[in-house]
Amino acid sequence: MARFVRDNGLSLAFGAIFLATLIGQAISGADTFNHGQALHNGDPISLGHYVTSAVFWADVMENWQSEYLQFTLYIFATIWLIQKGSNESKKPDRVGRESDEQQRLGTHTQPDSPRWAKAGGWRTTVFSNSLLLVMTAIWIASWLAQSLAGRIVYNAEQLDHQAATVSWPTYVTTADFWNRTLQNWQSEFLAIGSMAILSVFLRQRGSPESKPVGAPHAETASSG
Amino acid sequence: MRSVRMMFMVYIALIVAALAYAIVLGILEH
Repeated sequence: MARFVRDNGLSLAFGAIFLATLIGQAISGADTFNHGQALHNGDPISLGHYVTSAVFWADVMENWQSEYLQFTLYIFATIWLIQKGSNESKKPDRVGRESDEQQRLGTHTQPDSPRWAKAGGWRTTVFSNSLLLVMTAIWIASWLAQSLAGRIVYNAEQLDHQAATVSWPTYVTTADFWNRTLQNWQSEFLAIGSMAILSVFLRQRGSPESKPVGAPHAETASSG
Repeated sequence: MRSVRMMFMVYIALIVAALAYAIVLGILEH
């Protein structure tokens, strides 16, 4: 048990604070929703009803999609783009998809390489891009979910004000959908750009997200 | 590595379940 916790410290810790904050979001979200209901002489809803409603899921999915887009783009962009001096970048001479030797593929696999890395053909092609593929799939699915749940919330608001409801294809062209989307994207892109450039001149001793404290500012791609 | 693989499966299962729920809810609820 102690070994399980130590071996999975990062995924356990972040999984735990994810659940705690999701519960916090549900409680405060339900409270906010019921406050709105009271202002409009509507009936309050239970917490259980709220967490199974489109209002809650539109908010959750809106944030998920931007986070997964952030990582998807970062994984893709760092294949081709470098940032001199950054620990978040690879070295300038390794731009691109790299050689089989650098990626330990073909004749360069080792006995304990993953099976699909050794398999060759389509399986190695799929496995070679599996992180980007899965992150992209989660991004697309959560963005789709945001648009579907967001439309329900939007239409409920429209009905409240005796306005016409919209179809899904129409909803994805509305300012509401794009405002919800872009307000999340902008913060993700700034955070990524900041991390790339701040890690050139700033350090955190002990973190692999930083260069070693004594590493020169010009040194690119050296985890601490 | 067995426990790490288990964590991987827990994360994937949680994410897929949440996405599936949200998409189905978005399609069915009117």
